[in-house]
Amino acid sequence: MEKQPILDICGIDKRFPGVLALKDVSLQLLPGEVHAICGENGAGKSTLMKIIAGVYVADTGSILLDGQELHLENPNDAYKQGLSIIFQESSLFPDLTVLENLFMGHEEQKSLFPVLPFIRMNDIPKMRKRAKEIFIRLEMNVDLDEKISALGVATKQMVEIAKALTFDSKVLILDEPTAALTNKEVHTLFETIRRLKQEGVSILYISHRLEEIFQIADRVSVLRDGAYVATADVSDVSKPKLISWMVGRFLENLYPKEDVEIGETVFEVKELWQRGLLHGISFSLGKGEILGIAGLAGAGRTELALAVCGLSKADKGELLLNGKKLVIHQYRDALDKGIAYISEDRQRYGLVLPMTLKENITHKVLNRICNVFGIIDRRKENSITDSYMSQLSIKAPDGSFVVSKLSGGNQQKVSVAKSLAAEPQILILDEPTRGVDVGAKSELHRIISNLAKAGKSIIIISSDLPEILGMSDRVMVMKNGCKAGELLRAELTQERILEMAL
Amino acid sequence: MKKSIRMTREVVLAIIVAVFILFLSLTTNFNTVSGIYSFMLDISPTIVAAIALSLVIFTGNIDISAGTIMGFVAYTAGKLAEAGIPFVIFLPAGMLVGVALAGLNGYITVKFKVPSIVVTLAMNMVHIGFYATFLPMSGWIENLGENFTWFGRGRFLNIIPYGFVLAFFVSLLFMFIMKYTKFGKALYAVGGSIQSAMYSGIDPDRTVIKAFLMEGLLLGIAAVMKATTRSDVMPSLFIGRELFFISAALVGGVSIFGGVGKIFGTVMGALLVYLLSISMIYLGFQDYYQFALQGIIILAAVYITVTDFSLLKKSYCKETDEFPGKKGEEA
Repeated sequence: MEKQPILDICGIDKRFPGVLALKDVSLQLLPGEVHAICGENGAGKSTLMKIIAGVYVADTGSILLDGQELHLENPNDAYKQGLSIIFQESSLFPDLTVLENLFMGHEEQKSLFPVLPFIRMNDIPKMRKRAKEIFIRLEMNVDLDEKISALGVATKQMVEIAKALTFDSKVLILDEPTAALTNKEVHTLFETIRRLKQEGVSILYISHRLEEIFQIADRVSVLRDGAYVATADVSDVSKPKLISWMVGRFLENLYPKEDVEIGETVFEVKELWQRGLLHGISFSLGKGEILGIAGLAGAGRTELALAVCGLSKADKGELLLNGKKLVIHQYRDALDKGIAYISEDRQRYGLVLPMTLKENITHKVLNRICNVFGIIDRRKENSITDSYMSQLSIKAPDGSFVVSKLSGGNQQKVSVAKSLAAEPQILILDEPTRGVDVGAKSELHRIISNLAKAGKSIIIISSDLPEILGMSDRVMVMKNGCKAGELLRAELTQERILEMAL
Repeated sequence: MKKSIRMTREVVLAIIVAVFILFLSLTTNFNTVSGIYSFMLDISPTIVAAIALSLVIFTGNIDISAGTIMGFVAYTAGKLAEAGIPFVIFLPAGMLVGVALAGLNGYITVKFKVPSIVVTLAMNMVHIGFYATFLPMSGWIENLGENFTWFGRGRFLNIIPYGFVLAFFVSLLFMFIMKYTKFGKALYAVGGSIQSAMYSGIDPDRTVIKAFLMEGLLLGIAAVMKATTRSDVMPSLFIGRELFFISAALVGGVSIFGGVGKIFGTVMGALLVYLLSISMIYLGFQDYYQFALQGIIILAAVYITVTDFSLLKKSYCKETDEFPGKKGEEA
């Protein structure tokens, strides 16, 4: 393995006001390898990426590309040097077409009049031709004139990869590329990565999902708290070993589900219809039960949750709570009756990021902590906040800390606390651990399990199959807006769920 | 590559405008030479100024001081013409004034990270104060001669104002620029997402400043175009007009959030807003009714932009019983 590395990162330090985000990180990316970088949230993966991409400048250390020192002023410099980064958040323009997106910022140009070579316009036929060549290489088929906003998540990602290839990149960096993809789409993405690898493109692959690292990567490096921990060949390392590197200790159990005696049926949904989205879904939920809802993205799981809570309007269907018919016009009604929904997109729907912890946590219960004049009772506010902060072990200095500064895992806990403060009987969690690191994930699972033990009924919607398998008493599988089947904990296997979902 | 005529917002607007013109010419004196001439004369500066505003709005910014900038341009042009300086000099001089003032707006917006709505609102006040305080007679210039008005009042074939021809070419030029140049794409990119623009190697700050500079240039043209139709000019001539230009752009489908819109739409929007106001005059409405109705129309237009023709899409859904969001799923 004595190849000259294509990308050589040596001794990178990066300090932000108050924190040392990266300390002395070194990494070597070899030509034609897929090199995974993993670590918990806040381990410094994204900062490292942004330094490689030229978004941030490192305080010390150097980056060598093909033996040459890189000096980057901005991301475009990185692209020009043959280094392409696909960021976690999409960097496409939704209102522009695929073609416009592919060449944004580096359009092919030609002169408008041969006699005036300095007046230049975009050479659209040439861009079309190059785009088609790249699509053939990637075996993808997308209409170049389609607007990005009309494409699915997976297709968007393929467009981003295609965009990277318009720069003839030698090195491709992918930041959490599978975060929003279904298993099938992940499979397609991996095919593409393998194809690029064969063409000699080197890939830095950043991910939380350990399963993926074992599937796709040749080598893996681990970061923890901004420091480099270890690098190993994937074939030489085991999953627990990797987790212990990431967390700094061995985690005893990622899915601490306790057995709970399931009580009488508290909640029942009968024949719920929503045009084009839900086709006659029925299910029931017992006291203390955890019901997992599995299915591919677009199977209607979130839509079901929204319809149940009154966040969207169902066309037909009946809801029964404790045997009584339930009428829900809007989310407020659901909350009043003790049904709370925790959104998959905590940053957009779950939390008000610029506000403090206590403001967020008490948001749904303001009525209860206000006096008759509508003035907030600070003492009640603080006591509610403190109790949930300790109950869910939210790591923050105090209740007046701003939520946007918390890590993903802690934000998710605040999101859960916010819903718990409303003291719901039924809690619907949509992708509760998406984008959350392993340590926080295990903690969140313990919290969920404890809630069930305390008699709450819980619905978990998740694309993370091990999570569904590990946490559910019963699983409902959905497919294309229909209920595909139900499995009890005893008969749960990954294969059976997939069989139903596909 | 298949190319079908889609019912885009711009096409719909063009049809409405055409129907409007047809009705007006059937029912009023709109179809006479003087009717057509004055229509073209009035609409030309509005079109150019609405395009100017669109450029800034594409980047997600706005310029509330456009009207008062035009006032300075008109004053400059008038002052120079009074001293006997010809059109070929005072037009570029006016454009330069526009570029300088709009450029200042852009610079402050970018450099001090103050939202452009605040910067230009403040500038609007500064400009008006400046007129009254520092310009002799608040900038009134009277009895301008042929030297000044020949462009504004000149017409081809006795019916087409010079200004209209200029506005026509400006429209074509900017339709081309937005569709076929790097600059045009950069405007959409910055308005669409600053983050993504940066990741595409576009410098958002420079792009915004460029948009403001280009806006100033066009405001200069528009102001001179309008001012030269008159023998007396004053800077207060355009106070409040920016709202008219902004509404033309918005009705034309330019999103106030930036990143979306077409120059053709802006031109159609300008025509529509203008036609509405003159048809109200024909109908005998008073000024304030016009304002109120225009306000309502802008609300309706922007509502349609925000909902993005969702009414049309829904009916499409019903036919195929397919949810649009699922499109990419099986691919």
